[in-house]
Amino acid sequence: MDAPVIRLDAVTRRFGDFTAVSAAEATLSPGEIHAIVGENGAGKSTLLKLAAGVLAPSAGRVLVGDDALSPATPAEAIRRGVGMVHQHFMLVAAFTALENLMLGAEPVRSWGRLDLASAREKAQAIADRTGLQVPLDAVTETLSVGERQRLEILRVLYRGARAILLDEPTAVLSPLEADELYTTLRALADDGATIAVVTHRLDEVARFADRVTVMRRGKVVLARPYARAGAGEIRGGDLTRAIMGGEPPLPFARPAMAKDAAIVLEIKGLSLTDAGGQRRLRAVDLTVRQGEIVGIAGIEGNGQSELVRALAGLEPGATGRVAVGDRDLSRLSVRARRASLGVVLEDRHEEGLCQEATVGDNLVLGDLGDRRDGAPAFDEAAAITRRMQRFDIHPADPARLAGELSGGNQQKIVIARALDRLPRGPRSAAVLAQPTRGVDVGAAAAIHAAIGEAAASGIAVVIISADLAELRKLAHRIVVMRRGEIVQSLSPEATETEIGRAMLGQEAA
Amino acid sequence: MSSIFSLTMVAETLRIAVPYACAAVAGVWAERSGIIQIGLEGILLTSAFVSVAVAVASGSAVLGLVAGVAAGAAFSLFHAVLVERARIDAVVSGIALNLLAFAGTRMSLRGLFGSASNSPSIEAFRFGPTGSRGVDLLARVLLDPVTILAVLATAATPFLLARTRLGLRTRAAGENPAAAAMSGVNVPRVRYTALLISGAICALGGVHLAFDQHRFESGMSNGRGFIALAAVVVSGWRAERAVLACLAFGALEALQIVLQDQANRSAGADLIQLLPYVATLLVLGFAAGRAAAPRGLGKHAD
Ligand SMILES: Nc1ncnc2c1ncn2[C@@H]1O[C@H](COP(=O)(O)OP(=O)(O)OP(=O)(O)O)[C@@H](O)[C@H]1O
Ligand SMILES: [Mg+2]
Repeated sequence: MDAPVIRLDAVTRRFGDFTAVSAAEATLSPGEIHAIVGENGAGKSTLLKLAAGVLAPSAGRVLVGDDALSPATPAEAIRRGVGMVHQHFMLVAAFTALENLMLGAEPVRSWGRLDLASAREKAQAIADRTGLQVPLDAVTETLSVGERQRLEILRVLYRGARAILLDEPTAVLSPLEADELYTTLRALADDGATIAVVTHRLDEVARFADRVTVMRRGKVVLARPYARAGAGEIRGGDLTRAIMGGEPPLPFARPAMAKDAAIVLEIKGLSLTDAGGQRRLRAVDLTVRQGEIVGIAGIEGNGQSELVRALAGLEPGATGRVAVGDRDLSRLSVRARRASLGVVLEDRHEEGLCQEATVGDNLVLGDLGDRRDGAPAFDEAAAITRRMQRFDIHPADPARLAGELSGGNQQKIVIARALDRLPRGPRSAAVLAQPTRGVDVGAAAAIHAAIGEAAASGIAVVIISADLAELRKLAHRIVVMRRGEIVQSLSPEATETEIGRAMLGQEAA
Repeated sequence: MSSIFSLTMVAETLRIAVPYACAAVAGVWAERSGIIQIGLEGILLTSAFVSVAVAVASGSAVLGLVAGVAAGAAFSLFHAVLVERARIDAVVSGIALNLLAFAGTRMSLRGLFGSASNSPSIEAFRFGPTGSRGVDLLARVLLDPVTILAVLATAATPFLLARTRLGLRTRAAGENPAAAAMSGVNVPRVRYTALLISGAICALGGVHLAFDQHRFESGMSNGRGFIALAAVVVSGWRAERAVLACLAFGALEALQIVLQDQANRSAGADLIQLLPYVATLLVLGFAAGRAAAPRGLGKHAD
């Protein structure tokens, strides 16, 4: 089957009286990697969902090949060869990879019995052809993010999709994994598949995209071929301007830090063994000084998420000392720690946000009822307004459900809550995992500025990020984690190759 | 006759466990598909009543059985439609259906049979020897068609859930309805199917209750639906374990009957009656917090 051309013909999609996509025109062609970029809430995910039959257009037509996609359902889209990989994985955590792979397209024998052997065979054949290797018998929740990502793509291919629409596939990947992903996508495109990728990382557009569509406030504002070397085509700076509808944000200025500044956050001998007897953290020692920003680099699954969870107090089995200022937190509850330690966990969807609660409630979650005698009352309305403005949360409507916000704006809520409530000064520390994951250029700059401001006020900051460029920009010092240990400390002037080597455990050349 | 380890004990255990096991397996089907089902009690009661009413009217136990199962399946499907389509809270719907079943069967009992307490007797199924030795009791239990159907349904459930397309989709709907829907699974339809199966299996328990007593008695389900639900939770929503829990419960109840026989209405008798319930509480206490519910339980696909 040839890959279909997908054409969006003056497509509009409204949610209530809000127009998320307005009269958008786009053509996705076989053999190309098509990048879709734009601010948070610009309508990129909605556009992809329209093309994949997940949402039905309010007006206009989605054409797959020559015919309109109707009914607009994922099942029909798949039948026509269009598959989508969602921004938030759509996998059943308790299923094995193989079960997830076949769900909805199960080969069966008599009596509706699942034909696991033929599913496995087919999956293995696709995996061998594309290099998308996934342990098929592992339970999905034990897979790494990268593996889950591959599983999602494998699943779409398994259903026979020739057009693959990916919503921010690289947001959760390390640079290395992202490059691998693009290699796979390129191979698929060369094989005649239609590929569309939503991303906030503009360097990926420059390196891998054949064509780019820019969305802004629900409209397609630019659609061009992107040629890496040629003249006359769209270039990086233009892209930023088109996305933001104005000038690019000011570059980040790392706040100065006194050499002999006092130690604020002290981690000593922090160890953690998981239920399966695996050692996740091995005597981690880390000190962060007043106003210092420390970046933690490492390949996913080397103890970073456990470190954050242990610091937050979510791992009761952790041993070792954690202190902020001169307050020992090791024995304190999650709630008690919060007074001096702000934490943003990795998975905002699972652990950072109540999807079914309003934006306003989410912004002050955990701040109510903390009032001690004599302290001034917490002004809920003021805090919500301040946090919304400071982090430019859009739409600025506290009554909306958090689950309805675009991915990037959900991220802003979580960051706003963690940073805004911390008392300024050398008695607080902030630990932020993937602070700008899925966030657009402008918002990333705003979050970076807020982090810089926090550090300038004396707060000790730890940032964990898969984005090495981000770490090099923000941090005073980069430490590398491997197998639950801190193995090396580097200056932010180190190149990405050097940091990458340390992450992999190769000696510096 | 009065030994604790005897064929009588085995027979009694089986006989007592059937309604519990049916309701528990029904609970597994419903909740693994993602629909909270506290209406098992009402289904037991409704199907017990309908089976007796039809058996009385037609003089046929087979027709009674069929009607009872159909009533249970319909009742269960109604719950699913209220939850999936009308978006009524599943707990509210379950409570409403239980109340409806209680009031409805009482009212119909009065209307049809002019009694507040019980229906006239029915013949039901009588197979096997008539004696009262343990071996006769056991033979009768094992030859009972309702019991045989219940055992078959119970035995098939783990296989169906684990190894068939319907089972995979049912579990997907219960674990992550949004992901299931994105994979092209029609989540409401899967849930309707699961609840039909659930209702039919639960109804076998209700019919068994009534046929075992050869009549319908007002409120004869007597909390079995709720105890079965406890078994579902304790077992971590796994059919085979839930049935084991029900068998254990049946054994305790059988033991209680045997012991009570021995105690012969002495002061200890009342305490002995508490035995199964105390055991349930203890097991629940130990299992609490460890069992993981289906993660999409009570969630909709969109
Ligand atoms: N189900 C929904 N109900 C109401 N509003 C919605 C819904 N889904 C999306 N929206 C709104 O539509 C707009 C576009 O959302 P969309 O998710 O397409 O943005 P996006 O470009 O993918 O952003 P991001 O980069 O943050 O993922 C947002 O303002 C969002 O709040
Ligand atoms: Mg999006």
